[in-house]
Amino acid sequence: MILSSLGAIDKTNRLKLAGLALLAAILLAAIGYQAYSAERAYTLVLSVFATRFLGIFVEAVPFLLLGSITSGLIETFIKSDDIMRYMPRNRLGAALGGAFLGLVFPVCECGVVPVARRLFKKGSPVSLGVAFLLAAPFMNPIVFASTYIAFGFGPVFIGRIIVTILVAVIVAVVVGSMAKRSAVLKPISLAGEHHDHAHCDHEALSTRAKLMSALTIAGDEFFEMGRFLIFGSILAALMQTLVPQESLLSLGTGPILSVVFMQILAYVLSVCSTVDSFLALAFVNTFTAGAIVSFLSFGPMVDIKSTLMFTGVFRRRIVLYLVLLPFVMNLLSGAVINLLLGYA
Amino acid sequence: MTAAQHDHQSPVDRIAWAKSLILFGMGIYLALLILTGNLDNYINQRFAWLVVVGALLFIVLALTTLNGSLKPKRHDHEHHHYHISWDIILVVAFPLLLAVLIPSRALGIEAVNGGVSLSPVGIAGVARSPLDRNILDWLREFDRASTPAQFNGTAVDVTGFVYREPSHPDGGFMLARFTMSCCVADAFPIGMPVIAAAGEEYTAGEWLRVGGQLKASAFGAEILPIVFADSIERVDEPRQPYLYP
Repeated sequence: MILSSLGAIDKTNRLKLAGLALLAAILLAAIGYQAYSAERAYTLVLSVFATRFLGIFVEAVPFLLLGSITSGLIETFIKSDDIMRYMPRNRLGAALGGAFLGLVFPVCECGVVPVARRLFKKGSPVSLGVAFLLAAPFMNPIVFASTYIAFGFGPVFIGRIIVTILVAVIVAVVVGSMAKRSAVLKPISLAGEHHDHAHCDHEALSTRAKLMSALTIAGDEFFEMGRFLIFGSILAALMQTLVPQESLLSLGTGPILSVVFMQILAYVLSVCSTVDSFLALAFVNTFTAGAIVSFLSFGPMVDIKSTLMFTGVFRRRIVLYLVLLPFVMNLLSGAVINLLLGYA
Repeated sequence: MTAAQHDHQSPVDRIAWAKSLILFGMGIYLALLILTGNLDNYINQRFAWLVVVGALLFIVLALTTLNGSLKPKRHDHEHHHYHISWDIILVVAFPLLLAVLIPSRALGIEAVNGGVSLSPVGIAGVARSPLDRNILDWLREFDRASTPAQFNGTAVDVTGFVYREPSHPDGGFMLARFTMSCCVADAFPIGMPVIAAAGEEYTAGEWLRVGGQLKASAFGAEILPIVFADSIERVDEPRQPYLYP
């Protein structure tokens, strides 16, 4: 039964990969066109693309590895019951718990997805996992520190905390009450419920064997998630190579439009949450405070590469919600901050 | 169930070998980036330690994957949660393919996509004496200044690549650098206006070391502190081509 369902996953994945390959082919054709129309040698455009892609990949991949290993360790060392025991039962409580779980598992947006999926496999409620997924890339000691260094203890720092928790918890509760686990998560994220309990008795293993098992799982996790990271990095690098940054910047005025454009920028740039504060500083003079807060709150939740990684965990409709709900809610938050600060 | 188990015997082995080969490859690639210094083309030096960690983790995962593939399958089956297929392996091999096929280069003039900024990036850095200041340091000074004329007569010595726009005055160009906070994802071109006697001689993208004096003057529509060049020297691309905010 398990193996036949694995076969089915494989088939849909293959279709998805084919779709993404097509998308990549179209965008590669766009590189060719750009080279042709702007009279840039295509080898140079390709070289810029390669530098941008490898840069994003090299910076992100250590975090993905750490996330994969954390996932493997959770799988072998933490019993499913443990997570449930310490977490509140009701949906709101679980979502709140999930939003603060990053303080225990410090991961950025490249590492959060494998950890979240492992939590789901371990039986975590949807609301807990979703809140963790959205909040943890910012709600962890490392990103607190970088935000503090960049902006000090001021409206941006406080705004980022409040908006992140608010959006993560609300989206988590909405998605959590929308449908059953099986309708939210892809079968592969649920496998634990039928599979782990039946076959894997990690308790019986020695610590060394557990560690080996955790690392073997981490290796597979890296391939599972790595392909989404790679597709996402390809898309982000193509966008950066082909779409002039200026065309986004020049549109970024006004209390609402500025927020919209900073969020689109955050989505496209796919910058790691550990350093996005330093990048945001570059825009402080150009954009409204609400736009800066929304850039910093929305970026770590969702960007090109994490969207693709989400498709490895959630069903497609849910991925759409996980991108659009945070977008709209961060937009509202940014607009409210601008109103309060009198930018209107 | 039995048919599926047979499936697991030899093909899975080959996949395990391919997986550990790619993991080794990634580890070696990251190690080579550090050893050759090419890492500077991609990420801020501040995060080089992360790449060291990444390289080590890749080697560890490669070894455990290899070890797992050598062990009898019976045990491994229980832990085989994902079905890693050949198409996944091909996708994950893509970065290695790109790294082998395309020579490593830093972002340069070709990567300027929509203009070079006159505004600084990031928080205030270390205070440096005027002749030690790079382009980013100068833009920060300009940003803080009350009037562009404040710097009149100050000597500068900066290195960057030539960037041109049709609106630039005769003999004028911008001396540009990419800043990088984290990795090339946030690379951002900034520059200082330069006016030189034979400014037209220098082609876009060429790396120059420019010595001269600042003077507030018109550059395009704005009055800005401009470098009036006394000496211009063609130089190689610096070993660290980016400026770190």
